[in-house]
Amino acid sequence: METVYFIILIPMVYAAFAVFVLGVVIRLVKLFREPNNPTTLQIYPEKRPRWLWALNDTFLLPTVRRHKPVFWVFLMLFHICFLLLIIGHLELIGDFRFFQLIPHEVFLGKGFVGLILSVCVLYFLFRRFSSPVRELSIPEDYYLLILLFLTIFFGSQMDWARRWYDYGNLSVVEYREYVLSLLYLRPHVSSDLTSSGHSFMLVLHVFFGNLFFMFFPFSQLMHSFLSLPMNKLRRG
Amino acid sequence: MLKLFQSKLNEAMRLYLETCTRCGICTEACHVYASMGQIKYISAYRHEIVRRIYKKYFKGRGKLWPSVGESKELSERALEELYEAAYSCTGCRRCMVYCPFGIDTQMLMSIAKLLLIGAHAEPEILTLLADTSIEKGKSLELFKEGFLTGIKNLEAQVVEKWKIEAGEKAIPVDVEGADLLYVALAGAHSIVPAAAVFNAAGENWTLSFFEAVNFGAFVGDPTKTKLILDRILDEAKRLKVKEVCICECGTAYRLMKQLSGNQTFRVSSITEVHARYLREGRIKVDKSKFKEPVTYHDPCQLARNAGVIDEPRYILKHLTHDYREMSPDPRYNWCCGGGGGLVVLGEENLDFRMKSARVKAEQVKETGAKILATACENCHTQLGNLNSHYDMGVEVKFLSSMVADALVR
Repeated sequence: METVYFIILIPMVYAAFAVFVLGVVIRLVKLFREPNNPTTLQIYPEKRPRWLWALNDTFLLPTVRRHKPVFWVFLMLFHICFLLLIIGHLELIGDFRFFQLIPHEVFLGKGFVGLILSVCVLYFLFRRFSSPVRELSIPEDYYLLILLFLTIFFGSQMDWARRWYDYGNLSVVEYREYVLSLLYLRPHVSSDLTSSGHSFMLVLHVFFGNLFFMFFPFSQLMHSFLSLPMNKLRRG
Repeated sequence: MLKLFQSKLNEAMRLYLETCTRCGICTEACHVYASMGQIKYISAYRHEIVRRIYKKYFKGRGKLWPSVGESKELSERALEELYEAAYSCTGCRRCMVYCPFGIDTQMLMSIAKLLLIGAHAEPEILTLLADTSIEKGKSLELFKEGFLTGIKNLEAQVVEKWKIEAGEKAIPVDVEGADLLYVALAGAHSIVPAAAVFNAAGENWTLSFFEAVNFGAFVGDPTKTKLILDRILDEAKRLKVKEVCICECGTAYRLMKQLSGNQTFRVSSITEVHARYLREGRIKVDKSKFKEPVTYHDPCQLARNAGVIDEPRYILKHLTHDYREMSPDPRYNWCCGGGGGLVVLGEENLDFRMKSARVKAEQVKETGAKILATACENCHTQLGNLNSHYDMGVEVKFLSSMVADALVR
């Protein structure tokens, strides 16, 4: 079991990181080296400044708000919480004063960020079970949502354990030690991390997270990078 | 076949092929789905038909793990699906307004259309018409005489409509150094009213030998589209005109405006030119000419896809006291269901065209208008068909004809 834990927590993390970074970079480079379309792909009436409206389209999703307001609420909550989650993970690396503008305990959101994300992902998943989105969906869409749910759920469990049901054996100190050791290329997994009753949650969180990152560059998740250039095409 | 697919791939196309999350926001965007309720008409479903083939032949994971993206071979069955997707889509791009990423269905359907050409499975009539247009460009001399005789016959009608000064030519053709080259369609309705207005405005104009319509674009053949377009570009350069004015044909205008590249002349639609004449006081129209309520159908290629939105409304304000807007936001105006070459297929798909445009008919009825104006040949034909099929009780009119009919000295 120790060996499995070790493989998931160290080599697989590096492998996932490499696949993610290289995959994303190679795909973006290949994509943006393609020739431009000879004609404009704009929709009228146009609004200026175009880049500002493209930013608005990308980050505030006005078309979704207009046509599917409930979905929009879940989408906005999901994306905002996802951002908070990234910040939370960055704070495992060190204390960024910038992030502590509003003083908080790592992770952000007192456990609610994870809870909201879990609920949102379940909503995204369940709406794919009903027509017409069911007919539009392909296996990739389900795999990704399930993977995302598992990653978020096991990650959040660790947070909830500490905050909501007083489980004190694993804390941010241990996580930080592990993350920094990975970052400084001196990977080390302390026995605290693997011997606690909740260790399996950490291992599963990292395992599913690794799979998610490895799948990322080859999937529709690239919309996180491509949405802005696409909206710019529509705005002209 | 794959080379044809490859030829369509550029940055934008790859973005459109690789980003869809199948979120389903586009569900209600398509008039065909809104009218008929079948899943296969949802934009994202149409995209997937092309996307599955793309994944199979152009993406690693389509080969390594085909099931995850449901990648698919380009089989006979796939061609049938491509046909159904492409020739039920009018290329109106209304779904692009809904999509959070702005995926352009018309672009993706252009791949489907090109693959169908490669498999000789496209509607033959469209290719035939495109080839005829190209042939006319190659051997103009053969057509010239017949064309000039036809024009002579039309001149009498122009004179009747707008008494011109003696010595003036009612329909000038092949005039080098003219300010404006008017590219019409084959038919008196496209030439006579336009000529009356040009003459009334004192325009130094000339009529093109070629018809504006581009069947190459309808069938989705980029080479033929370019050849058909080039005939007009060459004529404009030869005659050294300052402006090329495209008749009421949405596709022709959009192609000329957006695909002709940097030219020495400007490109306008006849609607823009008429609005300009009114603004500059070069023509005057009688506002009481049309007494019944008027509404305007925005041709998708002219409005949503090329930005001619304010001009027709400006013109109509001069033509009627009772103008009724169809949709509060012109981006959301329903497509008439006749674009993308569908109307050209005539009786063959009449039943589908009528069923698929039910929402348009309802939209028109709700305005309570008695005159339905539009500025596109395809829309005009389709709206005429809808008018009889749904008993809309309107008179479908070309905007340019309305201007000509209301001209006052």
